[in-house]
Formats: sequence, C-alpha cells, structure tokens
Amino acid sequence: MGFRNLGPLGSFVKEGWEKTFSLVKFFCFLHVVDSYLVTWFVTLGPSMLPTIDLTPTLFLGETFSARSGKVTRGDIVIIRSPQNPKMMVAKRLVGMENDTVTYIPNPDEPDKQETIVVPKGHVWIQGDDVNTSNDSRNFGAVPYGLIEKRPFWRVLPAKDFGPFWKH
Amino acid sequence: MKVMSYMAQWRGIAKEAMDRTAIAVKFLCCLHITDAYFCSPTHIYGPSMLPTFNMVGDIVLAEHVSQRLGKVRHGDLVVVRSPSDPKKSITKRIMGMEGDTVTYFDPMLGDATRVAVVPKGHVWIQGDNIFASRDSRHFGPVPYGLIQGKVFFRVWPLDCIGVPGQ
Repeated sequence: MGFRNLGPLGSFVKEGWEKTFSLVKFFCFLHVVDSYLVTWFVTLGPSMLPTIDLTPTLFLGETFSARSGKVTRGDIVIIRSPQNPKMMVAKRLVGMENDTVTYIPNPDEPDKQETIVVPKGHVWIQGDDVNTSNDSRNFGAVPYGLIEKRPFWRVLPAKDFGPFWKH
Repeated sequence: MKVMSYMAQWRGIAKEAMDRTAIAVKFLCCLHITDAYFCSPTHIYGPSMLPTFNMVGDIVLAEHVSQRLGKVRHGDLVVVRSPSDPKKSITKRIMGMEGDTVTYFDPMLGDATRVAVVPKGHVWIQGDNIFASRDSRHFGPVPYGLIQGKVFFRVWPLDCIGVPGQ
C-alpha cells in the first residue's frame, strides 16, 4: 500500500488501521463465543417466582441445547416472544410436541380446565407464577424455532451466585 | 545434540501451525458474521413458489438486516424457520403483516374464500403456487421472530440471475 509515501502521517494511519482491525477481530471472536458457547442475559419480572426473583438477575446461558434439540420438559428457556419479536421472555417448558397439556386458562376459576395437544414443531411454555405470567395459556403453543437459550449459571445478585440447572 | 535440534525444528513447525490456525479461525469468524448478519446463500427447491422459483432448485442470496430493523413488509420473499419442523427453513412470500385481515383461498378445502386476522407480532406467509404450498393457510400465522432473512437476489440458474419477480 502507499503508506510509505505519506511519511510520519502514514505511520499513524497504518497503526490506526492495524489497531482497528485487531479490535474488529476481537469483537468477531467475542461474538462467536456469545453465539455458540456462552452468553449472558438479565431477567426481570415476577412471572417465574419463586424460581427466579422479580428483581433484575444476571444469568449465563448456553445456546447449544436449543440448537441441537436437547431441551425438554421442565427446562427453563429464554424464548423470543410471539407477541413482540423484539422481546425475549424466560419461561418453563411444560409440554413438548405431541404432548397433551391440561391447563387452567383463568387462575380466578381453578375448576375450569382445558386440554390441548401441542402441535408438531411447537412447545407449551408457562411461568412458574400462574397469576402474573403471560404465557401459552394466553397466546397458545409457540414454535420450537423461537427458543433461543437456556440459563445454566446465576451470577447476580451476588447472594444467588451459583449453578442453575436443576430448577 | 540431535534431540535439541529436533526440538528447535518442532517448535518452529508448531509456531507456524498455530499461526496458520489463527488465520483460519479469524477467517471463519468473519465468514460467520457475514453469514449470520449480512447476507447468506440459500438453496430453494420444491413446487410451492412456482413460477417465481423453479422446482428443481434455485440458489438465492438472503439478507439478514431488514428483519432485524423491522423493515420486512407485504410482498417480500422471506426465509422463515418452519413452525412445524424447527430444523428446516422455508421460503414464502409475506401476504399479511400484524393487524391485517387476510382473505385466502385453499383449493384443497373447496371453493370458499376464508378470512383471518393476523395477530400482533405475527405475519401471514403464502407460497406463490397456492395449489402446491403448505403455508399459513394450513399452519396459521407465524411469529415474526421466526423470520430469518429476506431474499433479494437470485444467483442460480444462470439464465435467471437478478431480482426475483413480484
């Protein structure tokens, strides 16, 4: 390249270019780790009480299980909301495809139950706190393709630091 | 003495192997970022998008920027993760955005036209060949979050290079 012709300015430009390039490579690497190995996210809200507190909680998550089809009933997953594609929600997987799920659509009427078979390629999600959770009882079964990640370690608040896989 | 010279050689080879691996890893990272966030090639086959795409297979480029910015709209060709099989991607056309009332006709269920309202956060997708396509007329509106990219250019077959038709 013609950097030598610019003299001292040329060496600044060259160094600036190299530093930027190294930074870009570093961010690419961080991004790939985030997409394929370990990622982090913060949960908020009361819908998963008592398992997850309603104050902001920082988790480490992995995307491997969702991608390879290894998430099952009972797992807590982070799923892209079918009502607002910009938001992600944390819920528990209650039913996989072809399961029969019996649920109470309205917590105020605990005697009225409904039964549904989860369609192929879909899952049924519910929050642990049935009174405050907006989940499959409201918007129906969601396609498996919307599952993004699964938490495996709770980081903050510091008093809750520790593993988070058998909840 | 011979052991020392072997070790020196080995160290040189190991260093070169590490450098080459680092370059390969950096290249793959860049490739991955481009593929996931900018543009990626997709192979489409099947009769559901005739006459826009042919049966035996087209290779198209899909960009992943529009759907992140919310700029996908009615009439766009999109690559969507299938709601009935999360391992597969399907390519269809958007025929309704959230809040729209869609009037559709399913030849397999008779001559009646039906009406559906697309819920918030969802889109209605249909194949151009309504006689041979499994789409929202069968599995309902799909959540916007399943859209993976928008098709903007066809690269194969060579005699049809260009922007796919309307």
